[in-house]
Amino acid sequence: MSRRPHHFILELVLVVLCITLAVLAPGFFSAENALNVLRNISMQGIIALGMTMVIVAGEIDLSVGSAVAFAGCWTAYLTGTFTGTLGWPPAVAVPVAIGLAAITGFLLGSLTGFIRMRFRVPSFITTLALMTGLSGAAELITNGFPLTPFPEWYNALGGGYLAGVPVPALVLLCVFLASSFVMNHTVFGRSVYAVGGNEEAARLSGIPVGRTKTTVLAVTATLAAVAGVLQSSEIMSGTATTAKGWELDIIAAVIIGGTSLSGGSGSVRGTMVGVMFLGVIINGMTLLNVNEYWQHVVRGILILTAVLLNRAHVTQEAFREAAA
Amino acid sequence: MITLELQNISRVFPGTVALQDFSVRWEGGKIHALIGRNGAGKSTLVNILTGALAPTTGTMLLNDTPCTLRSPADARRTGIAAVYQELSLLPDLNVIENILLGRLPVRKGMLPGRIDWKAAERTTRELLARLNISLPLHTPVRHLSVARQQLVEIAKAMASSPGVLLCDEPTSALSHQEARCVFELLRTLADHGALIIYITHRLQEIRTLADTVTALRDGVSTGTVPSAAATPERMVAMMFGEDVRFSRMIDHSPLPTTVLEVRGLTRHSAFSDVSFTLRAGEVIGIAGLMGSGRTELLRSLAGADPPDTGDVVINGRICVPRSPAQMMHCGMVMTPENRKDHGLLTLLSTRANMTLPSLDRLAPHAITNRTREEQVVARMQRELDIALADPEAPVSALSGGNQQKVVLGKWLATDPRVMLLDEPTRGIDIKAKAQMFQTVVRLSREGMGLLVVSSELEELLLLCHRILFMQHGRITGSADAGSMCLETLLARCMESS
Ligand SMILES: Nc1ncnc2c1ncn2[C@@H]1O[C@H](COP(=O)(O)OP(=O)(O)OP(=O)(O)O)[C@@H](O)[C@H]1O
Ligand SMILES: [Mg+2]
Repeated sequence: MSRRPHHFILELVLVVLCITLAVLAPGFFSAENALNVLRNISMQGIIALGMTMVIVAGEIDLSVGSAVAFAGCWTAYLTGTFTGTLGWPPAVAVPVAIGLAAITGFLLGSLTGFIRMRFRVPSFITTLALMTGLSGAAELITNGFPLTPFPEWYNALGGGYLAGVPVPALVLLCVFLASSFVMNHTVFGRSVYAVGGNEEAARLSGIPVGRTKTTVLAVTATLAAVAGVLQSSEIMSGTATTAKGWELDIIAAVIIGGTSLSGGSGSVRGTMVGVMFLGVIINGMTLLNVNEYWQHVVRGILILTAVLLNRAHVTQEAFREAAA
Repeated sequence: MITLELQNISRVFPGTVALQDFSVRWEGGKIHALIGRNGAGKSTLVNILTGALAPTTGTMLLNDTPCTLRSPADARRTGIAAVYQELSLLPDLNVIENILLGRLPVRKGMLPGRIDWKAAERTTRELLARLNISLPLHTPVRHLSVARQQLVEIAKAMASSPGVLLCDEPTSALSHQEARCVFELLRTLADHGALIIYITHRLQEIRTLADTVTALRDGVSTGTVPSAAATPERMVAMMFGEDVRFSRMIDHSPLPTTVLEVRGLTRHSAFSDVSFTLRAGEVIGIAGLMGSGRTELLRSLAGADPPDTGDVVINGRICVPRSPAQMMHCGMVMTPENRKDHGLLTLLSTRANMTLPSLDRLAPHAITNRTREEQVVARMQRELDIALADPEAPVSALSGGNQQKVVLGKWLATDPRVMLLDEPTRGIDIKAKAQMFQTVVRLSREGMGLLVVSSELEELLLLCHRILFMQHGRITGSADAGSMCLETLLARCMESS
C-alpha cells in the first residue's frame, strides 16, 4: 500500500513502450489512436479493477468472460421480451433490462461468495463451474443466434462519445476512481487486504471475512455484467460467443500490475497500468502489421517479462520472510 | 574440531545497520549463547550464517577456510542447520513430511522416485527417539500447539546431523520443563562435537546451558565471556549498558466490581466446566503444562473457537462468544500466542496492523483517516517502546520482539475492558518485558481485567494477583500469587501429571 520508487517500474516501462511505438509505428502517436486504445481497453479494464479486489482478497473469478456474454444476451433477451411480448416502449424496456442484468450479475457473485464461505468451496471451482454454465446459458437464451432487439439509440452506450471521449472509457475512469478510493481510503478496502493477507489473523482482528469476500465477488460479477451491457451496445446484439477467454487477459493485466496471486497485496493503480500496457502492446503490434499468431507469442513473453520486473524487488524480502 | 570464525561482518538495511563489524571465533563441542535486546541483530546474524541473507561486508571462515553461502540449502550441505525464530513448517503436511522435507527416502526399482513411507516413518521414529521427543507422526502440524511445532522444528534441523546448529529462541514457546528436554538434547549434541549457537532472552537458561556468552548491542558486539563469569547483572549490562531490575510490581488491590464471570464453560475435547470470576483491576494468571487447554480456553473466550456450553458474563451482560468481532464489541480481546499466523498480517505495514481491530473507531463513516492512525501508532510506539524505523514498511521487517509488541499494541488500541494475553512476553528482551509488565500493571490500575497465560512461571508470580491451575482441560485450583514462591508453584503445576 505504501509508495516506493520500485512501484513505478511498470509506469516507466509503459512510457518507454509508448515512446518506442511513437517512433516505430505510423499513426500511433495521435489523439485518434489514443481514443481507440482507450475504447479497446475499457471493458476489460472495468472488470480488471474488480478482479484486482477479488485477487487481493485471496480469491479468483474465472467466470467474468462468460458473464460478459451472458449479460449481453440476457439484456437482449429481456429487451426483446419486454418490447415484443409485453409491448413496453423501448425507453422503459431497455433500462429495466439493464438493471435486471446487473442484479443478476450481483446475485451470481454473491452466490459464489456464499458457497465459498458456507461450504468452503474455493472460488476457483465455483467460478469455473459458472464459466461453463453461463456460457451455456447464453447459448440457450439466444438459441445460438445473435439477438438484435435493441433500438438504434442503444448504441450510444458502448459506441458513443461524451465530450469527445468514448463512453466506456468514462465508465472505466469512474470505476477506477471509485475502486481506488475504496481500496486506499476505506475500512472496507483495508479489510480486503487483510482477509487476503491472512484470513485467520483478519478474523481474529474482528474483520468480517465472509462479508468482505462475498462483497468483492459480487461487485466484480456486477462489473462484468456492466461490461456485458456495454459490449452488447457496441455490437448492437446479444451474442453468446463474445468475450471468450477474457478472464485470462484480465487476470494477466492484474498480475502485470503487480498484484500477487496469493492475495494480500496489489493495487488498482497497478492494474490500470497493466491494462494500458496490454492495450498499447496489442494496438502497437496491429499498427506494425505483426501477424496475429506472433502477436500472441509476443504478448506471452511480455506478460512474463513485466511480472519478472515487478517481482525482482520482492524476491529479497520474500527470502527473509521465509527465513526470519 | 569444528571452528566458525566471523571477521568484521556487517549488514545494512535501508535505514538500519543491523550488524556492524561483528567478529568472533566459536569452537565446536560447545554451546555458545548469543544475547542482545530486541532488534540487536541476532536473527540477522543467524540469517547470514545460513545463507538466507548476504552480509554487506565481512568474511566467514569455517574450519579456517573462507566460505560463502548462497542459500540455506547451500548452508545445509556445508553442515549448518538452523531452528529459526519464526516457525517455518508447512501447516498441511504431517510431522514426518515436515521433518524429512527435501530428504524423503525414495524407493529403488520399478518406479524410481516413489517415496518409501515405511523408511520415512522409521527414520523419523529413530530421530525422535534419539532426541527423546514424542510427537504424533501423522498429524498435520497445523493441529499441533506452538510448543509442539517448535519441537518439530528442532527435530527437522537435527535430521541432517549438522556440525553447526543455530537455535534462534527455540524455547520461547516452551515451559521450563519442556525446555529442559531441549537443553539435554543440545548438550548431547555438543558433547558429540557439534558447534551450537543459542539465542535466548531467558538469561537464567544461560548459566546452566552455555559455555560462552556473546552479547550484541545495536548491531555491535559488546564482548564474549565464559558463562561462569556471566552473572545476570553482567549480561544485562552487556546487552543494555545499564541496569534492569525486576520485582513484584503488582501492589494494588482489585476493585470490587466483576468484569468477567465465566460459568461452566465447556468446549468438547479441549476443556470442560471452567468457572472463575475476574474483577476490575485484577490480573489472573493461568498456569499449566503444554496441552492443558490454556490456549483453547482463551481462544474460546475470545470467540475464536466458540464454546459448546456455559456462560460468559462481561460487565453484567451475558455474551455468548460467537466470533472475535462480537467479543471485541463486548470489550474482551485476546493477543494470540502465534504472532506470525494469528497475530500479524505480515504483508501489511505496521500502521495497518496496529490499527486493524480498532479501525471502525478510527475511521468515521468507514473512511480511513491516516492522521488518526498515525496517532495510534505513535501512542503505542511510546507506551510499548517499539523500535520502529518506518511505520509504513511491512511489519515483517521488524525484529521478532518488536513484532510481539505490535501484536499487544494492536489489541490495546481497541481500549478493551478485559484482555486475554497468551504468552505475551514470547521473544521479548527483559527490558521490554519489564516495560510490558509496567503496562499491564498500569492497565489493571486503570480498571482493566487481565487474564495471562504464560509458560514462564516466575512471570506469573511477578504480575498476577491470583493464579489458576489448569490440567487436562480443567481448573484444578487457585492460589494467591503474592504468598507463593516459585518452587511451590512449580510443584503444583507438576502435580498428578
Ligand atoms: N528486511 C529488513 N528490512 C529492514 N530492516 C530490517 C530487516 N530485517 C531486519 N531489519 C532490522 O535489523 C535490525 C536487527 O533485526 P534482528 O531481527 O536481527 O533483531 P534480533 O536481535 O533478532 O531481535 P529479536 O530479539 O527481537 O528477535 C532491526 O532493527 C530490524 O528492524
Ligand atoms: Mg530475532
